[in-house]
Amino acid sequence: MTRQDLTKLTAIFDHYPTDAGSLIGVLQDIQREFHYLPREAMTKTAETLGVPLSKVYSVATFYNAFSLTPRGDTIVRVCKGTACHIKGADLLLDQLESGLGIKPGETTEDMKYTLEVVNCVGACAMAPVMIVNNKYHGNVACNRALKLVKKD
Amino acid sequence: MVHITINGKVVKAAEGEMLLTVLKREGIDIPALCHHEAIEPTGNCRLCMVEISRAEWEGWKKHVTSCLYPVEDGLIVNTHTPEVIEIRKTIIDLQLANCPDSDVIQKMAEEYGIYKTSYETVPEGDNCIMCYACTRICEVLGKSAISAVMRGHKKVIAPPFGEEPPDCIGCLACAQICPTNVIPWTDTDSTRTIWKKTFDLITCTSCGKAVITKDFAEYLMAQRQIPKEYFETCDECKRMATARKMGEIVTKAQEAAL
Repeated sequence: MTRQDLTKLTAIFDHYPTDAGSLIGVLQDIQREFHYLPREAMTKTAETLGVPLSKVYSVATFYNAFSLTPRGDTIVRVCKGTACHIKGADLLLDQLESGLGIKPGETTEDMKYTLEVVNCVGACAMAPVMIVNNKYHGNVACNRALKLVKKD
Repeated sequence: MVHITINGKVVKAAEGEMLLTVLKREGIDIPALCHHEAIEPTGNCRLCMVEISRAEWEGWKKHVTSCLYPVEDGLIVNTHTPEVIEIRKTIIDLQLANCPDSDVIQKMAEEYGIYKTSYETVPEGDNCIMCYACTRICEVLGKSAISAVMRGHKKVIAPPFGEEPPDCIGCLACAQICPTNVIPWTDTDSTRTIWKKTFDLITCTSCGKAVITKDFAEYLMAQRQIPKEYFETCDECKRMATARKMGEIVTKAQEAAL
């Protein structure tokens, strides 16, 4: 971890009371800042909050919101819930897979894009839905998907 | 003090005591895998299920995990009704599907007349029933070296990052408390390996047998103020020494009496 990263980390710790109850909040902030949970950050969290490292790791692996591997700057989520599935989410995903050259759960080598599949985002009326960095795109046409991703 | 009725017999119990503790004290056979005196009950294995009722419930009853149910005055408990047996059988049947190779569960199943699970067995199961007895005992010891990792069907009990757990002291509490004996460890004359971590063993100064890992001894010395000499000899040699000393005292006393 660089000195800059450590400063970022200290700033996050300063935001929270130093007890076990702050664990999830701290991890969420680290995830937001670094786009994943670096190993060193988890060790530091355990030391700072006085929580056993095993517990930090347990929480980090339990929630889908946390990633243990670095993720891209742009996170593309494709909904594969029932409605989106019927409206062609598979074709959409195919386009993105071949366009970005990665499979769901992977990140491009230049660390720009991460592709993910989610189950339902509660926007079935807009199916098929694609979320690019928390921005929701509805009725996405296959041929437009990649353009929408690259534009962001 | 509260009074409860267990299978028709009135029994005294301390307030706040868990039902399973009372049932065990009364000598009633209740199967339980995840229960242990040293750790807080969590009701993970579901096997200690019993039927409870109260006079004012007018025949209404419910099934609870006795390890987690605090006794209260006027509770009516039935431990072996046909419904309870049926529930227990289902749970054992499911556990057998989960851990087809566990002799503990096989034996338990046989007692309930189940010789083959009626469910599909888990492929490549590791006999772990996810009762968390190991992680709970590790926490009680003040270490928390291992924990549940991932979730759902991918969940396993493991050290952080799947590597040597930095907090582990090789005390074997996790392996010994495990009801289905799934935590492997190996001992050589001078080392012990558990969770892929290898520890140096202190050997007995008189017989040379392994006593305890260095890390565990150091931890006990610091935490429980146990003197260093305590770990220098094994339990057997300690007993022998005590017996020898007692013998000497007796002989001396006898000699003095003559």
